[in-house]
Amino acid sequence: MLSRVAENLYWISRYVERAENVARLLDVGFHLELDASGLDGDAPGADPAPIASVLSILACRDAFERAHGPGRLDREAVMRFLTFDRGNDQSIVAMLGRARENARATQETISAEAWHQLNRLHFYLQGKKARRRFADSPPRFLQGIKRACILFDGLVDGTLPRTEIYHFLQLGRHLERANQISRILSVKLHGLREGGPVVESPLRIVHWSSLLWSCAAYEAYLRDYHDRVDPEGVVRYLILDPEFPRSIRFCVSRCLESLRAIAAGDGFGSEAERCLGRLDSELHYIDPAEIFERGLGRFLSGVQDACNTIGDEIHQAYFFT
Amino acid sequence: MATTPPQTRLFDRYALAGYDEMFAGPGQVRPHYRALHDRLVRLGPEELEHRHRAADLMMRNQGITFTVYGREQGVERIIPFDPVPRLISPSEWDRIEQGLIQRVRALNLFIHDVYHERHILRDRVVPSELILGASGYRRECVGLRVPRDIYVHVSGIDLIRDADGTFLVLEDNCRTPSGVSYVLKNRQVMKQLFPLLFAEHNIRPIDDYTTNLLAVLRHIGPPGVDEPVVAVLTPGVYNSAYFEHSFLARRMGVELVEGRDLFFDSGQLFMRTIRGPQRVDVLYRRIDDDFLDPMTFRPDSQLGVPGLVAAYRTGRLGLANAIGTGVADDKGVYPFVPEIIRYYLKEDPILPNVETFRPQIPAHRQHILANLHQLVVKAVDASGGYGMLIGPASTAEQRAEFARRIADNPRGYIAQPTITLSQHPTLVDHHLEGRHVDLRPFVLCGETVKVLAGGLTRVALPRGSLVVNSSQGGGTKDTWVLRAGPPKRSEAP
Repeated sequence: MLSRVAENLYWISRYVERAENVARLLDVGFHLELDASGLDGDAPGADPAPIASVLSILACRDAFERAHGPGRLDREAVMRFLTFDRGNDQSIVAMLGRARENARATQETISAEAWHQLNRLHFYLQGKKARRRFADSPPRFLQGIKRACILFDGLVDGTLPRTEIYHFLQLGRHLERANQISRILSVKLHGLREGGPVVESPLRIVHWSSLLWSCAAYEAYLRDYHDRVDPEGVVRYLILDPEFPRSIRFCVSRCLESLRAIAAGDGFGSEAERCLGRLDSELHYIDPAEIFERGLGRFLSGVQDACNTIGDEIHQAYFFT
Repeated sequence: MATTPPQTRLFDRYALAGYDEMFAGPGQVRPHYRALHDRLVRLGPEELEHRHRAADLMMRNQGITFTVYGREQGVERIIPFDPVPRLISPSEWDRIEQGLIQRVRALNLFIHDVYHERHILRDRVVPSELILGASGYRRECVGLRVPRDIYVHVSGIDLIRDADGTFLVLEDNCRTPSGVSYVLKNRQVMKQLFPLLFAEHNIRPIDDYTTNLLAVLRHIGPPGVDEPVVAVLTPGVYNSAYFEHSFLARRMGVELVEGRDLFFDSGQLFMRTIRGPQRVDVLYRRIDDDFLDPMTFRPDSQLGVPGLVAAYRTGRLGLANAIGTGVADDKGVYPFVPEIIRYYLKEDPILPNVETFRPQIPAHRQHILANLHQLVVKAVDASGGYGMLIGPASTAEQRAEFARRIADNPRGYIAQPTITLSQHPTLVDHHLEGRHVDLRPFVLCGETVKVLAGGLTRVALPRGSLVVNSSQGGGTKDTWVLRAGPPKRSEAP
């Protein structure tokens, strides 16, 4: 496979995954604000914290302030910035636009079904319909985007043979997902005390639940943990669960599988494979208590550093030949 | 019993003019069009419009677009698609097919001769200065042997029909003609939209085009290479025909490469893959000669590959089409093609040219200048409907401008009588109206010469317009070459 094509495929799924995440985070934030404004009398929606936190997760708070000036974060403005603002390269429109542009340049490799899905989504976002739906009901719009992105993943799963093409798409998707989960955890846990006992206030429960919602994990978690939303359980679930498709451990394992499938013909392991293997075994064998002893924040930034290194090494091994 | 449905309005506004593809006279449907005509009448305007919209949506979602430049960024458009197919009868097609095979065989021999012995120039059948001064002439190719002596592997020969219905060759395209992907996609869309029509007609299939193209490309692989690696070379995603490049690569199951994916090493061309360099043996290149290799042609080309021509020269790389084929489709050379056919094949041309005047000949020049208001004047090195004067539609100022240009550069222009192209029923706002059409069949030249059954019918959508180019608002139709005999099966409506 051409290196350029491999790189395109890898980025297509990274962008789609990220767009889906932005949609989910905004959707959760939107609902959380509705809840919070009812519960917390001290801050009646003056500072739209949950939606503003999405800016931090995506590391584009500075960009927002450059565009809109510092000071109060207007909820409406943040929502627009992250959905339809073409000038913001982290917006849903910009990311799906790039995913589609990459897919256009590699449409002969991915299946027609998968390409048509991205193309249709792109035209939908360019048209009036998307803006109308957003104006009517942001959650409906956001859920539509989420579904469209998941449909793309499904089409990839259902139509592509398990060749390098498929594995580069998987690699991008899962690496991005692992990265996003760790960022969500870092930002959302920032305000909450790490490890120690937690005051059981209604607002806190809302926050922990929203963390689960942000990773599409709420219902799956409850099935496993029998409706105890406690911080340690949540953290353990989102980082270490071997079965849940949006846990860091699950995603890292998938990355490793795909990378091994790609490298199969080569007979030599790349540096990327070594880094991934190391992260994978750490997540397999670590004692959950150790995460809290080390400090959750430090642990998560370790994961993010590893993901970045792995991304760089993948570029070195396959895209710069 | 059903009474006559009210939808017969489809043809109410239909006016005959010139040669009409469907009607021999008022109310007289040509025999090979009868089944289609009756089916259209039964479908009615609403249903036809509905399916037309469905076709547009299908094409847009599938990314069957081309890029229009001019505004800040390229805008992607679909080429307007007309749902009324164009039909060609078996006997009409036989003649077209024979004529095209003859023409392409002669053009191949001509290009070979021009870059080698030059018999035709020495025998003064074609003036030397015309060839050596042609913008498509590449002196780098003099004496260069190309694989199997094939130059024009893929050509698109534009045909039109005059008022008597005679097919004439308007233009040869021997470099990188595009449009074949629309032919294949149009057919696919039509099958989805009008399955019944297909059941009612006996239509020659066209799906084998990409298989045949791949066979042609493998045929020109370097000697000694059993399984040549073929790739399609595209200028990239911003090229207006990018959809076609990617479509052809997908259908042939080969890589679609850009110049930056390739490099030259030890006499051979390689692709950069995730497993390191992989050899490339044959390129179906969709980049113009000038941009292929910055070491040989334009040094500022970002699209090409340094060393590509070196690999071609030593026979380690097959190229389709060959370099320098532009001498054959030069508009200045066009008037000589009938003579070229006679010279090499000792046969009379089956498909005539359009009568053409050359300003270099004093008598012709006088005729041109005196009759500019009736003629079409074309710049020899322009294409796509640019650089043209259509006499009957021109202003006195435009005519004066062209008269001056012709006097300054007689080699740069040709003139032809304005031919009213044949017209074909075309959907225009719930009605069928006559619109002018041409036909671009595609010819493949490998071990044998094969013509795709049909081709791209382009239709000039504005009323009265004679310009069918997509860059000038032209649309396309599916083109059906009918086989003799009844359809394989027929069904009740």
